[in-house]
Amino acid sequence: MSIAVSRALCRVLSRQTAVPTNVSSLMGVDGHVSQGPWFASVLTLKTSAPLRAEPKKKKKVDPRREQMVRERLKKKLKKLERVPPELIPIEDFTTPAKYMDETRVRGAPQLPFEESERRALLLKEWSRYKQTQHRAEMEAVGLAVEAQREALEELRLESEELYQAALRPDPLLFPFNHQGPSYTPPKAQYEAPEGKYNNITKVYTQ
Amino acid sequence: MAAPCSRMANRPLWRFITNVRRTGLKHTGVRQISLSSACRAATQTRSKTEGVPSPWKLYGAVCLQRLPVISQERNPIEDQFAELMHQMELERSLLSDHEQRLLEDSERMTRKQADNYDSDEEEADYGGQETITAQDQEDTWEQKLKHFQPALRDRDVGGTPLGSVERCLGDSLVLLVQQTVGKETIWLLPQAQWEAGETLRQTAERGLSSLPEADFKATFLGNTPCGVYRYTFPKEVRTERCVGAKVFFFKAFLSAGSASQKEPFLWVKKTELQRYLKPPYLEKVDRFILNL
Repeated sequence: MSIAVSRALCRVLSRQTAVPTNVSSLMGVDGHVSQGPWFASVLTLKTSAPLRAEPKKKKKVDPRREQMVRERLKKKLKKLERVPPELIPIEDFTTPAKYMDETRVRGAPQLPFEESERRALLLKEWSRYKQTQHRAEMEAVGLAVEAQREALEELRLESEELYQAALRPDPLLFPFNHQGPSYTPPKAQYEAPEGKYNNITKVYTQ
Repeated sequence: MAAPCSRMANRPLWRFITNVRRTGLKHTGVRQISLSSACRAATQTRSKTEGVPSPWKLYGAVCLQRLPVISQERNPIEDQFAELMHQMELERSLLSDHEQRLLEDSERMTRKQADNYDSDEEEADYGGQETITAQDQEDTWEQKLKHFQPALRDRDVGGTPLGSVERCLGDSLVLLVQQTVGKETIWLLPQAQWEAGETLRQTAERGLSSLPEADFKATFLGNTPCGVYRYTFPKEVRTERCVGAKVFFFKAFLSAGSASQKEPFLWVKKTELQRYLKPPYLEKVDRFILNL
């Protein structure tokens, strides 16, 4: 390609040296400028074959090359997508390393005989206490159910309409919310202080 | 036609069973059989009572309970057991950071007091700073705790009057009012007479809202009565039409409310009920008031 360019340039230069005499003769003879050999060479300079060759190659190969690159990227993306997503680790289930340290182990206590006896007897006492408590609870609930059953019986004897009204479920009862007993009673007219906090929980994305 | 009718008759029974379950009562397995037998007996008598008005007057009463606000004090055995559990957990645990610091500090002290103590080595390790030992920190914390005065849990120590809702905060209390029934004025659960065109639950709600100078906001637990008290009038009042009265009780939890101290209200625990209620009435009422 470079040889062709140089050849073209040589041709142009040779024609240029020959040109001035021709131009004056042409001007003299005809009275107007016509397409002499110099103009012809300039025109051919613009459309010479070697110079035409470069842009032609760009048009053909580059779209193909770009397409190839795009396809390769798509294939890579598909491969990445096929990989299953990483499971989010549950931080509660992993024991932190500092608790696996052996220096932290407390020595096993040497209990005297009386102490171990006392513990065994206390545990048995506790199970007996809990058993009586459970029995009392079950009895109380049984009595309450019996009382309700009797009430419905009496109501049925009275009037069927009221009985049916009593059997209907109450849609407004649920959801039922109640604050259970706390250790200390609530303060009257207590305003909780507003505070700023930094939330440092780790958020995982899949 | 017969098949769909029988299905319709069975549905209220099923609904009732689910309703009973929802109100939190157990032992429905046993109750189902007895319920169906009661229903069968009732259907036989139903044909009799439909045409004739019943000779019993109906009342709707409300058993309004204020649920406990604070947890109860521990029994001696519960106290002992809690202590034992705490001790056992401590024995099975690992050393905490603070305890490790204590051990390290004590070791360092023994090393300092030993003969071949190399203070340069120690200072190189710890940067030569005056560190506060863990023992010192513990002492300062104990001092602070001594100066702290926690507020009283149960403000009842002074002996609040029986009519106040702020009474025994650890127990559930029931509301009692004084009403005239017949000739006497007695303490009972607030009740009102049933009027035609309303359900018994509405009667109970009316009985609660009609209490003079009281503003109680209650959540009624379902449409089913929890108990019944049937009594016959004394002979002079008894007529052909009304032989006696049946009082149906409904349970409710107090959500908010206030009452003036002038009106005769009482908030009593289950154990104190016997001081105010008449024995036959108490017998029936005691069954459904749970102290749990």
